[in-house]
Amino acid sequence: MRADRRFNLAGLGVFAALLLLWELYSRAGGVESYLPPPSAALKALTEPNVARALFGHLAGTLGRFLGGYLLAAALAVAAGVVLGYSRFAYSVSEVIIELLRPMPSVAIIPVAILCLGIGDAMMIAVTIYAAAWPILLNTIDGVRNLDRTLVDTGRTFGLGRVKILWQVALPAAAPYIATGLRVSLPIALILVTTSEMVAGVNGLGFFILDEERSLRPANMYAGIVVVALLGYALNRLFVAVEARALAWKRGLQAKGEA
Amino acid sequence: MRPSKISGFVALLAVVAAWELVARAGLVNPLLFPAMSKILASFLALLASGEIPAQIARSMERAAAGYFLAATVCIPLGVAMGLSERVYRALEVVVETLRPVPPPVVIPVAMLFLGIGDGMKIFVIFFSCAWPILLNTIDGVRNIDGLLVDTARTFGLARGRTILKVVLPAAAPQIMTGLRISLSITLILVVISEMIGSTDGIGYFILNAQRRLKVDQMYAGMIALALLGYILNQAFLFVSKRLLRGR
Amino acid sequence: MPLLEVDALCKSYDGSAGAATLAIENISFNVERGEFVALVGPSGCGKTTLLMCIAGLAAPSGGRVAVKSQLVDRPPPDLVLVFQEYNRSLFAWRSVLGNVLFGLEAKGRGGKAADERARRLIGLVGLEGFERHYPWQLSGGMQQRVAIARALAYEPEVLLMDEPFGSVDAMTRLELEDALLAIWKELGTTILLVTHDIEEAIYLSDRVHVLARRPSRVVETVAIPLPRPRHQVTTRAEPSFMELRNRIYRRIADAG
Repeated sequence: MRADRRFNLAGLGVFAALLLLWELYSRAGGVESYLPPPSAALKALTEPNVARALFGHLAGTLGRFLGGYLLAAALAVAAGVVLGYSRFAYSVSEVIIELLRPMPSVAIIPVAILCLGIGDAMMIAVTIYAAAWPILLNTIDGVRNLDRTLVDTGRTFGLGRVKILWQVALPAAAPYIATGLRVSLPIALILVTTSEMVAGVNGLGFFILDEERSLRPANMYAGIVVVALLGYALNRLFVAVEARALAWKRGLQAKGEA
Repeated sequence: MRPSKISGFVALLAVVAAWELVARAGLVNPLLFPAMSKILASFLALLASGEIPAQIARSMERAAAGYFLAATVCIPLGVAMGLSERVYRALEVVVETLRPVPPPVVIPVAMLFLGIGDGMKIFVIFFSCAWPILLNTIDGVRNIDGLLVDTARTFGLARGRTILKVVLPAAAPQIMTGLRISLSITLILVVISEMIGSTDGIGYFILNAQRRLKVDQMYAGMIALALLGYILNQAFLFVSKRLLRGR
Repeated sequence: MPLLEVDALCKSYDGSAGAATLAIENISFNVERGEFVALVGPSGCGKTTLLMCIAGLAAPSGGRVAVKSQLVDRPPPDLVLVFQEYNRSLFAWRSVLGNVLFGLEAKGRGGKAADERARRLIGLVGLEGFERHYPWQLSGGMQQRVAIARALAYEPEVLLMDEPFGSVDAMTRLELEDALLAIWKELGTTILLVTHDIEEAIYLSDRVHVLARRPSRVVETVAIPLPRPRHQVTTRAEPSFMELRNRIYRRIADAG
């Protein structure tokens, strides 16, 4: 977010001061049941059995996230390219899309539980449903904004419709697709953790809620630290991949600003 | 109406009719997919009995409280962080640490502190809405043309009035972007928090209908939710168009 | 048999209220193998529409276009079009080499031979050393050189060019004209170029078809007997160059 990546002493100082305040307040007593000191959460993280459990839950959450997110990307990009390119396909689906889109995606969880039970399939399905929307809509937008001259260029080189879709429309829409993927990344994580809370038997969402109900707040906070790290790591990974894939586009913007 | 819209409605009717036929023919488990006519009848009945309006009203109270709280806190905070490098750097680490936390996992924390009442839900909505509003406000304020602020100062405007008269209007489009993103997040989080820790609200209603196997009521609740999302979105567009008139 | 035949071509667009707008009415001309032919005319005479029809990118409303006696009803394999808007027709996500390779890939050619040919053409248009650059890193003139190299890599028998130098500055334009002539001499590709610049048309070509508007038609065909190789200073200073220029100018002005 910042061009300036200097070591932020003031920021770290404020952060440390807040943690210290929390630590002192908790140690003063009387609040153990809901606000253990941060050191207790850290200690929980380093306890072998908690760490082992957390690792297992992390693996479950990550697996469901990747399954749902990647499948959503594949399906939504494919559908978006077709809907963006074919006026007929778009006009047929437009009303249905407009009706389904405003419904908060988590409302699909009960339906998914009914149809798929309470396993990984259900959680991956709801993640696909929720994550697909931003990708689909942005892909449609990107393909619809495709420059006519680019299509004609492909045609003058003798490319047929399918090849133009694949070699011209898809890469030209890539920046839009990337926007969709960026928006749906946290959404996918929300859906995975939510479905784990509502109907899970493992995963970080399940773990955090379960530790809360079992009155082990230190473990709950440890779980939150892990899920925050997961969110942070996924975001960094996405930014790095995007920077490589769209290196040509970043240049374009840099020149436009100059 | 555009001809393309007509084919869209024809397609919608076809899907609804197909659903009805398949359900009536017994090709699908009626426990999972009741006939469309039954769902719509149930929706109308729940609407007339006041059940759905009441549940939606409960959800909307929480949603509005969390949403407006987030706007009230995060717009001024964002302006401060956008204008002052010092404020920004002081809070940067805290913001960057909290932001990647997926909002649903804040629900258990809030339940510890606040139980399963409205306070918990309002806090969770506040937490999840805060980020888009805050980050967009910071960005919007930062991207203001420095000339604009200088102009205001040559007219002798005091700092407070400069913010009110120049900074906020100039950053308004991007602040509205943040508010629009947060609006859809609000709806998601109110439903989630009602599913996990509640005894009323539309999110609870839908999940509870599923658990009691009143599947037609579950779908009716989803229809209500979709309508609610649509209306809120349209209302937002209407308001933001008025606020950003001439832009 | 001429390489390219345009016979009684007309093209109209459907207007909003059912009224058809006539963009081209009855244009006929031929291009022989190896020739450099220019079409010159005022703006609004349907030059771009004409090229779109010849390239098989738009369907004519009447008349016919043929390449090697084959009726054009889709983009023909022996012909490629270079657009005026290089910034919109280059693939921003491909490097210079990638863009030039596109024409070869489209023909199903890959591997080392394709790579070598692409590099040779990049050298021919004077962009050696820029193979790994992306379009945004190049100036307008260089981008159009890439577009020309990409088109030539496709090995077309006919190269169509729609105001190829219309969006670059004056000095670059002269450079590109000479670069194009050098390539034409080297490869012997037949070129049909559309321009509204009379002097450019004379400087480059063997024959100039003069177009007029309302209705769009060929009003005169002028042979250009100027000796080759041509030179930006001496050729343009020749009395016959000026005579040709004035003759074409009057023809357009009278018809317009």
